[in-house]
Amino acid sequence: MNISCNDRERILLDGSAEEWAALEQHAAACSACAEELRAWKALSTAAEELRDHGEDPALWAKIEDSLRQQVQQHSARRGFWERLGFSSEIPLGWQTALTGALVLVLTLSGVYVVFHRHTVDPGQSKLLKNSALAEVERTEREYMKAIDKLAADAKPQLDSPASPLMASYKEKLMVVDGAIDELREQAGRNPSNAHLRYQLLAMYQEKQQTLQEVLETKP
Amino acid sequence: MGTVGLTLQWEHRISSVAGEGGPRVEPSEIAAGQNRATSAPPDDAALAAGCLAGDLRAYERLYQLQGARMKNLARNLLGSQSDAEDAVQETFLKIQRGIASFRGQSSFVTWAFRILVNTCYDLRRSRVRRKEQTHDDSNEMLPWPEPRAPGAHPSLRMALERALGQLTRHQRDVFLLYEVEGFRHAEIAAMLEISETASKNTLFQAKKNLRGMLEPPRSAEASVR
Repeated sequence: MNISCNDRERILLDGSAEEWAALEQHAAACSACAEELRAWKALSTAAEELRDHGEDPALWAKIEDSLRQQVQQHSARRGFWERLGFSSEIPLGWQTALTGALVLVLTLSGVYVVFHRHTVDPGQSKLLKNSALAEVERTEREYMKAIDKLAADAKPQLDSPASPLMASYKEKLMVVDGAIDELREQAGRNPSNAHLRYQLLAMYQEKQQTLQEVLETKP
Repeated sequence: MGTVGLTLQWEHRISSVAGEGGPRVEPSEIAAGQNRATSAPPDDAALAAGCLAGDLRAYERLYQLQGARMKNLARNLLGSQSDAEDAVQETFLKIQRGIASFRGQSSFVTWAFRILVNTCYDLRRSRVRRKEQTHDDSNEMLPWPEPRAPGAHPSLRMALERALGQLTRHQRDVFLLYEVEGFRHAEIAAMLEISETASKNTLFQAKKNLRGMLEPPRSAEASVR
């Protein structure tokens, strides 16, 4: 194969084995190509100075530790999702359907909240926990029972008021009863609303006080 | 050393090696084909399968086979031993996180090195940002590399490392992957997501530039006739 100095760069870039052999042969008689060739090879040789492939077992120990940690973290995350029922064993179609259903439920809930926000009492933030609510309702029932007994005692006087004062008490008790009914209705809708419970308690106390005054008033 | 004007203490060595016709010289893919062993070990697929199964022994095997080369490449790209170790460690973590996405389009080892190269550049960017935040007015992207193997020729190595710092990112990557780490152009192409021809051209350009930086001006006679 005959080559000239003009072929040198092409061969240096991507020459075949035969072309390289021919270039070597040509360089034997051409000082410029010999210099280029030697310098080219010298760079490859010099690159070996940057090679240090010594083993480093300590680094593997560090890597192994971090790999183990990552596996543990991943397992913990996966465990959480699996507890929620999102196992990778569920077919993709079902997973998609489940996700769609979840999105639908969330959307409907959002819409419901938006449209019913105005009926929510501002005091609703004061929510009672379930156990506390049960306690309140039990005490409230007992309190009402006691007040009903009081009301039964006062009933003869109120049914036939003998004085304007008694008529006034009767009227007041009717207003209080109306307020109690209204508050109980609201508390039925929002049983955990502590604010409503306090108002209801205040009304019961008012009724109790009024009934006591009725009983203490001489006919 | 004849007319080869490399201006360093390595002149003798270069001269003699060049005369010997060293084993790792061009044509890279053909003449040195026997020496430039493919980076993918015979059990590349098994290695990938082991890693996919979460078997830490597979990762250990990968480290045994490629760890030293990974660390060396990272050190040459980052210029620091500790940064290189961080990069290799981060690479293994990324492999573990991303093994499910490995589709076998390239060899597993090639894929691992692609992650390593990207990790090195991510680390380098974050280091440059840190430098900027601390108002360090050094303009250099690469710090002076740390001392390495005691047997290495310090002047030659330093000169080459400085010259490499002047190359473009792709030129430096291809030179290091090909000339230092011994990858084939096909593997480099897969790692850097470029064509094989682009890898060859980039190496050629890198070597031309390096030669220009490491040698004194040549006489007019020496230019291509």
